[in-house]
Amino acid sequence: MNTVAKLFNPIVRFSPFMMMALLLIPVLGGLIGVILPAFGWIPALDQTHFSLNGFQQLWQTPGIGHMALLSITTSLISTLLAFLITILILASYFTSPWLGYIQRLLGPILVIPHAAAAIAIGFLITPSGMLSRLVSPWLSGWDAPPDWLYPHDAMGLSIILGVTLKELPFLLLMALGVLAQPDLGQTLRAQHKVALSLGYCPMTAFFKVVLPSLYPHLRLPILAVLAYASASVEIPLILGPNNPPTLAVAIMQWFHDVDLSLRIKASAGAILQIQLTLLVLACWWLLERLVSQFAKPMLTNGEREYGGAIIQKITHVITALMLTIIGLALVGMLLWSFAGFWHFPDALPQQFVMLHWQTALQQMHTPLIDTVLIALCATVLAITLTLLTLEAEQHSGKSLSLLGSVLIYLPLLIPSIAFLFGLVWLLEQINSQHTFINVVLAHLLFVLPYVFLSLASSYRRLDPRFSIVAASLGATKAKIFFRIKLPMLIGPIFIACALGLAISFSQYLPTLLTGGGRINTITTEAVSLANGGSRRISAVYALMQMILPALGFLLAWLLPKMLVKRHQQG
Amino acid sequence: MAHASVNDVVDKPTAQTQILTTPSIPVSNKASAQALKLSWPEIESRGANQDVYFHAWGGDPQINRYIQWAAKQVKQQYQINLHHVKLTDTSEAVSRVLAEKSANNDHQGQVDLVWINGENFAAMAKHQLLAPNWVTQLPNFGLTDPDNNPAMTRDFGVPTQGMEAPWGKAALTFYYDSIVTSSPPQTLQQLSLWAKQHPGRFTYPKPPDFLATSFLKYALIVLNNSQPEAIKNLLYQPATTQSQALLLPVLWQYLDELHPHLWRKGQHFMSSGMELRRLIGDGELALAFTFSAAEIPAAVARFELPDSSRSYRMQDGSLSNIHFIAIPYNAAHLDSAKLVVNFLLSPQAQAHKQQANIWGDTSVLALSKLTAEQQTWFEPPAQSHPSATIANQAISPALSEPDPSWSKVITKLWLQRYGVMQ
Repeated sequence: MNTVAKLFNPIVRFSPFMMMALLLIPVLGGLIGVILPAFGWIPALDQTHFSLNGFQQLWQTPGIGHMALLSITTSLISTLLAFLITILILASYFTSPWLGYIQRLLGPILVIPHAAAAIAIGFLITPSGMLSRLVSPWLSGWDAPPDWLYPHDAMGLSIILGVTLKELPFLLLMALGVLAQPDLGQTLRAQHKVALSLGYCPMTAFFKVVLPSLYPHLRLPILAVLAYASASVEIPLILGPNNPPTLAVAIMQWFHDVDLSLRIKASAGAILQIQLTLLVLACWWLLERLVSQFAKPMLTNGEREYGGAIIQKITHVITALMLTIIGLALVGMLLWSFAGFWHFPDALPQQFVMLHWQTALQQMHTPLIDTVLIALCATVLAITLTLLTLEAEQHSGKSLSLLGSVLIYLPLLIPSIAFLFGLVWLLEQINSQHTFINVVLAHLLFVLPYVFLSLASSYRRLDPRFSIVAASLGATKAKIFFRIKLPMLIGPIFIACALGLAISFSQYLPTLLTGGGRINTITTEAVSLANGGSRRISAVYALMQMILPALGFLLAWLLPKMLVKRHQQG
Repeated sequence: MAHASVNDVVDKPTAQTQILTTPSIPVSNKASAQALKLSWPEIESRGANQDVYFHAWGGDPQINRYIQWAAKQVKQQYQINLHHVKLTDTSEAVSRVLAEKSANNDHQGQVDLVWINGENFAAMAKHQLLAPNWVTQLPNFGLTDPDNNPAMTRDFGVPTQGMEAPWGKAALTFYYDSIVTSSPPQTLQQLSLWAKQHPGRFTYPKPPDFLATSFLKYALIVLNNSQPEAIKNLLYQPATTQSQALLLPVLWQYLDELHPHLWRKGQHFMSSGMELRRLIGDGELALAFTFSAAEIPAAVARFELPDSSRSYRMQDGSLSNIHFIAIPYNAAHLDSAKLVVNFLLSPQAQAHKQQANIWGDTSVLALSKLTAEQQTWFEPPAQSHPSATIANQAISPALSEPDPSWSKVITKLWLQRYGVMQ
């Protein structure tokens, strides 16, 4: 313990820098690794003079305007929808116990990987899917599936549905997390009560009193969702159109094209993707300005009622609809994973078989072990770095600068497709033998921000008086950290672990690219199966993708209870 | 693009090569000369007890299981650990080798073996990413009778120069749901009429998917069948502006007429050919095609396809091709990779692969080169499901693959014409 105590302070001092380096170097290095080829510098193709060919090729790509527009519209609309529904749910159920129920229902959805969500929604909305079977043939008269262009519609409506359903729980839980902070949450609830007593309808009171204080805390999560939606590949790949696809999907295809000279165009595309993401973020900022300009006078105009009852009804319908869609999608997946032949328009399969689970579990062995190992390594690293960085904050008495907070968010704000290809090139330069470590480091980029976010508020809210008392009794900082702070934080730490695992489980692009195809996880397999020949095996993998994070959260919920019990008995 | 010679790329002395070489001889020549001098028993002793990373498309459970079986066999024979790196697209492996080459990783490559088709082969050969002249070293390569069977040394019409070994044969096979349609189209022209009568029940994937380009090449060959020999032969040479003008118009004309009657009215084409099978199972399509006919009865057994599925070949011809395995120039386990390929070419492995319930991929061995006992391994077992019997198999002429440049040209022009929704 003595050596630990000696080393503890320097390690703590050093860890914020370590964390920043782990986030910053890969992202910036990756960006350099994509900027160079974009301007024509690929030694492997004997291209070593700088040119704008890549960008010329990019402009000449048929449908490039379509691709960019599709990325912009789908990301903006889906984020806006997710945000609006979040706000409506909060406003409608702010004082009702329903808020807690919805939180409990949507919580598990948060940890469903994007790929699995896309597969499940796809099963639901295709012309031969669950919804169409439920109304056929008695209502629709369809004996064969209708020939509709949905999903994969050119407008990207199916992408919007998928992204909205997937991002909504995240925003809602973020908002509830903010409201759970004792000081802020209590203040807001108290102010809301005052507004009610002044005769404001609950809905109006929420919009005029709570929302203006709540929104600043939601801004970064929203921007992260927006940035993600503008450049993600899983949902557009599985649900979106391919004539043309979104820009991010197109870039991925160019990078993987047989024609190696497309690499240059792909890198130029990655640069365009970054600009596009920035543009979308700027659009959001502009929208925010407009709304606040427009709505400011309304805050103080004394109006008590804006049709709150109707809005409340609409919210009920939206919430019910959403939960139904999610429920049906899950049921559909379960059915497919056990289905014998399932003739259209039957709502149920002809027989149920275990065959697909058996087949899949036989193949799944290695990917499953890899998935869990990578997630554990990345999460343990992330938790350690996070705790030490937060401890460093308390040592220095300064919380992270704004720059620091932005840096933590950096991997979430810069489109991963843009820097990951460069990162692969960079890793190639350093070593090419440690695929597993490369994948863990790539996962860390995405696990770390979430783990940090999930732990920061609890850590900063720890009552300092415990430490002060312990210090006055002569305890070292190390002792206080290990014996007082960590035990008090056992619950949040386990939850952060579960979240870290879930984020790692769901990573597709980072695994695919840095793993070079050598490391297959449940998620990479699920995505490649989603466009494959078997709905049934695909359903098994998607369910597996949901079971894994659920197990993580179950353990996170059970273990602290058991530990505390043992501690008390001991 | 300037072409570098192999030496420009490979002749960058690293610590490893310094030890091996005298300054006067370029590394690559020395290395390959050394490799050629090795006798087979030497290769066997050098290649045992190692890992081999086999990068192969992993979208078909039957094929994956076959590779697992092969892994067990080479483990027994040579203590080799064969790892199947499942690709969603073979070009991922091409990208990887290219990235390694750009990082000057010329000896410790992560890809030891790659399963490729003509287009990827052409790309890899062009960038000198493949180990040359090793196929003739394999004892079992002789069983393919390459002297009397030129197809074994040509991939999509391009000479393989010993850079890849044949692994299996396939032909374009159509299958349909016999409840929905009792008389499927027997020729390309009938297909167009059939699509009009069954709107939305047929489609093909979007190029550059392998099945997509295969369907388009089949159409291209058949539609030009009435042209004079001299013009038809242009398909087996690199495409030029002139030959395109002579051969392609009939194809676009045919497709323009066909598309409005396809699934989703031809406004959306699936990205992956694997989805065809799923859409038949969903009841959205009534007619589809594949290169691996054995997947049809296997999918019926797995409840993926209706019991009423039947398979056949078109009477106006079936596009046929051979698929190959290659070793990248920088494979870390070159000798072990050769041992694996030699095993995959053994009568035992080829016969096992040909069984319909295993993979159903046709053997590349010449039966005349095998013993009488070995020949019996290749006789078809009693058929299980009716779809395992392919109608017209005997009368459907084999259409050989055009020059790989045509796939590129067709893909590019197809995407220009139909790739972006108007």
